[in-house]
Amino acid sequence: MSALPTDAEATSLPPNLAEETVEAIHKGRVDAIVVHGPGGPQIVMLQGADVPYRVLVERMSDGALILGPDRTILYANRRLGDLAGIGAENLIGMAFGSLFAAGEPLPTENAVTQARLRRHAGTLPVSVWMSPISMGGDAATLVTLTDLSVFVRVEQIAVAERFARSILEQATEAIIVLGPDGRTTHASWVAEQIAAHPPVGCSFSEAFPLDPQSSSHAKTLARFSRESLDVMLATKPFHGVEVKLRRPDLGGRSFLLSAGPLLNDVKESVGAIVTLTEITERKRAEEQQTMLVAELNHRVKNILAVVQAVASQTVRTSQSLAAFNVAFAGRIQALAIAHDILTRTRWIGIGLNELLTAVLAPYRGADGARVSLAGPPVLLPARAVVPLSMAFHELATNASKYGALSQPAGAVQLEWSVANSGLPRVEMIWSEAGGPTVEAGGKRSGFGTALIQRVIKDDLEGTVDLVFAPRGVRSVMSFPLHAIADFADLSGVSAQAS
Amino acid sequence: MEQGGYNLRLYVAGQTPKSVAAIANLNRLCEKYLSGRYTIEVVDLMTNPALAQRDQIVAIPTLIRQLPEPLKRIIGDLSNAEKVLVGLDIQPN
Repeated sequence: MSALPTDAEATSLPPNLAEETVEAIHKGRVDAIVVHGPGGPQIVMLQGADVPYRVLVERMSDGALILGPDRTILYANRRLGDLAGIGAENLIGMAFGSLFAAGEPLPTENAVTQARLRRHAGTLPVSVWMSPISMGGDAATLVTLTDLSVFVRVEQIAVAERFARSILEQATEAIIVLGPDGRTTHASWVAEQIAAHPPVGCSFSEAFPLDPQSSSHAKTLARFSRESLDVMLATKPFHGVEVKLRRPDLGGRSFLLSAGPLLNDVKESVGAIVTLTEITERKRAEEQQTMLVAELNHRVKNILAVVQAVASQTVRTSQSLAAFNVAFAGRIQALAIAHDILTRTRWIGIGLNELLTAVLAPYRGADGARVSLAGPPVLLPARAVVPLSMAFHELATNASKYGALSQPAGAVQLEWSVANSGLPRVEMIWSEAGGPTVEAGGKRSGFGTALIQRVIKDDLEGTVDLVFAPRGVRSVMSFPLHAIADFADLSGVSAQAS
Repeated sequence: MEQGGYNLRLYVAGQTPKSVAAIANLNRLCEKYLSGRYTIEVVDLMTNPALAQRDQIVAIPTLIRQLPEPLKRIIGDLSNAEKVLVGLDIQPN
């Protein structure tokens, strides 16, 4: 017999019948087959039945093949050709065992076994399923091969995904991952908490409507419409714009908006990572620091002005350099005590009794009896501390030089009360007794008296009535508590002044 | 039929496209190369599937050359004339 053609083979019966049949089916030259069932032969039409199966088998993601009785490959689908890397048509006629790496145990029928498929470069892990069938009375075997490297890769991806998720869940910042279309694919726990809507699937601007934090940043943000901001965030680095979220309950909180590209393993941008870092506390600390520096600047200027005035006035009223030294040092000491108190109380204010105890300590004697203090608790604002310190320093100095405290038996009684009719007012009475007789209409240190008048009237918006009675000096002072600007107001004034 | 003629049996399944094509192709080839020295028996297995057992028919269409011996078979629609002639040992004139 001449060499058999491959296209339409003629042969005596039947050793290669199954092989010829499979090839004829494979090449689409027949459109019906005979199936031997219990009731005898039956005709099965392939047109309309076989075609979809052939297409399915050709397109399935698993490798599939049919083995003849001698374990040669009669048919292989396209996917098996891809897996083996040599093309499905080249597999026809190959021995089944040659598909696998040397030394591998061959897969067995009616079981799923794992094996390593030989490739031109290395091997590929596969699971192999084999099942015997009868084709036209001949034994054949159906085999499928599943690429396990896909599952390995899927597991690796799942591990990486879990890793990334745990980072997002633990992160203390709002982290938003955008896809190439600008829509959110992942969001950290914090991001979900501050979003206006559940962020995944939304564009950034939908989930996080923003207001600029300051006018300079308003210009930055104003360059972008909502859509172009989304595009910008999804495509280009974007750093350090301070924003507020347009959510009423987050109104007081400030955030720093940054974005950078999300790169794949070949460094192509496949989206963006956007972060919203809360900087509310930092902003608050910065604002407080700025305010404190301005306040300090303001107060230092004030103190220097006071020191300068005290120095020049003390020079003018001092008889000698020695007298100047004593008077000036005393007044500076009073200022220092006042500032110690302000520093200690962080410029919030102090109780009147505590202030007087500190200022008058050098004059009260060991048991405090020489200057007695009596009055209800009064919380003085910070601004009252320096004027009152200066005023009572002057009164006490005068008393120790010329008045009650210049005599061993002399004493001072300092009493105060708070009048609450209308606006609260503090009324204080300084009464000296036991000192030398005071000349009626007398005048002591000109500057001391002037200083008392000035600080009570000008600084505290109060009144002073200084009476030089024969038995001792009596000073009645009254000032409102409300008129003294509190710390916050002062800060505002200072910030403007500086 | 004269001595040394071809006795051919073509198994088909009703009017399927491959069956119809096989009948047409076979008639054309026989008329051209075996004119006057062939007989064709068309067996429709749709009508009587049991006849498939006689020549162990698995796929349709299948052509069986009963004579001259040895018995030969060609599976398919016989569209490749050259291969059919070779398969049947027919020498083109």
